[in-house]
Amino acid sequence: MVDVPVSCRSREYPLFKEKDVKILVTAKRVEDPESKIKVKPDGSDIVREGLKYKINPFDEIGVEEGLRLVAKHGGEVVVVSIGGKEVQEQLRHALAMGAQRAVWVNHTGALDQMGVAGLLQKVVEKEKPDLVVLGKQSIDDDQNQVGQYLAEYLGWGQATFASKVESLESEQEKSKTPALQVGADGKTVQVVREVDNGLATLECQLPAVVTTDLRLNLPRYASLPGIMKAKSKPIEELTPEKLGVDVTPKVQVVKLASPPERKAGIKVPDVATLVDKLRNEAKVV
Amino acid sequence: MSTGINTYKTDLREIFFTLFEQFGFDQVVGQEPFEAWGPEEAKAVLQEGYRFSKEVLGPLNATGDREGCRLENGQVFTPKGFKEAWQKLYEQGFKSVSVSPEHGGQGGPMMMQVLLEEMLSGANSAFNMYPGLAFGAAELLAECGTAEQKKLYVERMLNGTWGGTMCLTEPHAGSDVGASKTVAKKNADGTYSIRGTKIFISGGDHDMAGNVIHLVLARIDGATPGTKGLSLFIVPKLRVGADGSSSGSNDVSVGSIEHKMGINGSATCVLNFGENDGCLGELVGGVEHAGMSQMFRMMNGARIAVGIQGLALASAAYFNALDYAKDRKQGAHFTKFKDPTAPRVSIIEHPDVRRMLLDLKAHVEGIRALLVKLAMHTDKARMMAGKDDEQAAYHRGQVELLTPLVKAYSSDQAFRLCAQAIQVYGGAGYCQDYPVEQYTRDSKIFSIYEGTNHIQAMDLVGRKMGQAGGAHFQQFMADVGGFVETHREHPVYGEAVRQLAAAQEGIMSSAMAVLGWSQDAAKVPLIPLSANRFLQMMSELAVGWLLLDAAVIAEKAAEKVSESSPDKAFYEGKKWSALWFARNVLPNVEQAARMMALEDSSPVEIPVEAFGGN
Repeated sequence: MVDVPVSCRSREYPLFKEKDVKILVTAKRVEDPESKIKVKPDGSDIVREGLKYKINPFDEIGVEEGLRLVAKHGGEVVVVSIGGKEVQEQLRHALAMGAQRAVWVNHTGALDQMGVAGLLQKVVEKEKPDLVVLGKQSIDDDQNQVGQYLAEYLGWGQATFASKVESLESEQEKSKTPALQVGADGKTVQVVREVDNGLATLECQLPAVVTTDLRLNLPRYASLPGIMKAKSKPIEELTPEKLGVDVTPKVQVVKLASPPERKAGIKVPDVATLVDKLRNEAKVV
Repeated sequence: MSTGINTYKTDLREIFFTLFEQFGFDQVVGQEPFEAWGPEEAKAVLQEGYRFSKEVLGPLNATGDREGCRLENGQVFTPKGFKEAWQKLYEQGFKSVSVSPEHGGQGGPMMMQVLLEEMLSGANSAFNMYPGLAFGAAELLAECGTAEQKKLYVERMLNGTWGGTMCLTEPHAGSDVGASKTVAKKNADGTYSIRGTKIFISGGDHDMAGNVIHLVLARIDGATPGTKGLSLFIVPKLRVGADGSSSGSNDVSVGSIEHKMGINGSATCVLNFGENDGCLGELVGGVEHAGMSQMFRMMNGARIAVGIQGLALASAAYFNALDYAKDRKQGAHFTKFKDPTAPRVSIIEHPDVRRMLLDLKAHVEGIRALLVKLAMHTDKARMMAGKDDEQAAYHRGQVELLTPLVKAYSSDQAFRLCAQAIQVYGGAGYCQDYPVEQYTRDSKIFSIYEGTNHIQAMDLVGRKMGQAGGAHFQQFMADVGGFVETHREHPVYGEAVRQLAAAQEGIMSSAMAVLGWSQDAAKVPLIPLSANRFLQMMSELAVGWLLLDAAVIAEKAAEKVSESSPDKAFYEGKKWSALWFARNVLPNVEQAARMMALEDSSPVEIPVEAFGGN
């Protein structure tokens, strides 16, 4: 580290502005988990009327991580969402959190994971970010595929399920330090991944695709000044046609059904009966 | 900050209905002085505010109650987590929604601000006292302070750098504030030396901000006795430099903190000013003997804030009791109560539980509507100012008239409704495992502080009814009358509307009676004896009207949604709130009018000795 005279320090950026980073994050519109989801009687869709929506929580973690990286390195967070004009609500939420601008891909028909990844690929090629940070999955249908497809389409490295060693109660978290480590030369990113038996650390060449897990950070609230500023931040409108992407779904939803209702449990008189039932009926011990 | 478990819950659908569908938020915003605001911003603020309330303030509610505040070596320490929550609250900017941009705020409409405040208070009433009082004190200085005072104090008190209080009450001067004994002696440099003791000072000291700025009522040496001789002083806990630095004691000490029934996370202090003759204050606005009128600027806002607190806890109690009643199974359905083998049902299946829940629902929604209506009048008065004097005067008049109703009715009902929520739970609700017992304890103070509810009732009967030659009251009655005329023959609500009309007639005759008493010395004591009853009648008329208004709006809106939409049930709920209130509360208004006509003065006729006791 070289000592920099105090007069050179700016408030917005840290002592060392290593390199501006440009980060593309996503903001999918999903059903609010507090809403009650009902399947239409004909199984064609869920009942959407009166449902509440919000930004996919995993994407929100991605927005937060992008904001932290930009606070550390300087640069820009661009947020993208795909859908009808109602997705502007989620874009505004990300803008209110602090993202600089938004891209809205206006499309109202059905989309599968390849369609989404194809659209994101074109947005990435247009925006040329150093890093794409998106949720590992969206909480509506929990597919966990778009990040991986996107990396493949782009021919970029990928680090999925980004997490961190520090707890969400730690000083690291309280000081809003980014968990993703962009190398000093701005050419690599180090990602701690959540894997079955613990945490694994990967280093990727930039540009790269990172998908977020739950324990990466606690997203900030949109502040009041942030909400007011979001109104005047630009949202660029694109369409699949403009981007030259054929989004005809290859995967089709045939029918939706609610999971079967859980049957009522039974009470057993003693441990012996329990063991007997576990062994002979459930065959688990 | 996961120190406790959040129990706060509300329904944003209901809040959005009141703001957008019933009171037309869209017609207020997008134009001067709210040109920066639109419905999307309001929704975002309320959604984020709800999340903040649940995630940051809610978890500290029960823990703050159990831990309480501590006084150690003259310093008050708030419960664990409060300091961090204070920082987060101000980082989010939630306290500056309606503050003018001049002082670092967003200049938003009060209609939205009151709903945000409802959520903050509902999640943690005790915590929200501190920023609430700092806000009120800052608003007063923004209005009445000198240019220097505004520059030095206002923004710092609005952004969390400093706290603030209002110091009126003394050991022998509570409701009788004119008996205040605190004195101010003018010094050669224009400052004043303050000496005296104030009690029941909410947020009188705390550890969340760098300084606490007290606004203290005191009598300048030689001033006339009573309220007219009082002046208002800025008295910081620590001396403040012109650059905004705080350093060195200003001889303000905390004598003790009260041990209370509720809001235990809020420090209620005895403050001693100038025990060592070292307490300096500066005169607010540089004006002598204007203390009471200046303080009233803060009092009006504070009274509305107490109304919000009442609504907040009643609503939180309702949603908690509702969840419990849906979940808790006990007893067979009442049609099978003699069959011991009948399946146990959720207690919400029992008629009496449903009665209590519907009573809670109707009151909570109606009081919320009354509050938002008051806020709407405030916003419209600002919009019309300088453009349409007559309209602006009308809106200001409604604010004047409705303020005592919001303060007193909301706070009286809050305690009753929270207790009723306990009843829904049964014994479980009486235990600390559930939040309703704390809500009940916390809510009792609302009918006492910021002017007891009797003071509110006397304000209504003695001041507001006759203000502007009775114009505010008459305009209110004309608004109710207009609704009655339009909907008297409504196919669903006609009967309820006629009940509303009967209640209105009862109030008209009672109002005439009060007017008569005021002109007959022998009957004057009937006024304080009847004031509380009259305030309740007026409030029930207003709430009954607004519930029916909401039901009519909901009925129209329901035509446009499909059978499967959750909105269908929501709008249906509006119907039952209105019908319950019209059938079970509005008849009380007629009955109360009959009681007033009896001119019963037994409480003043009975000799003190005849009360019994020893």
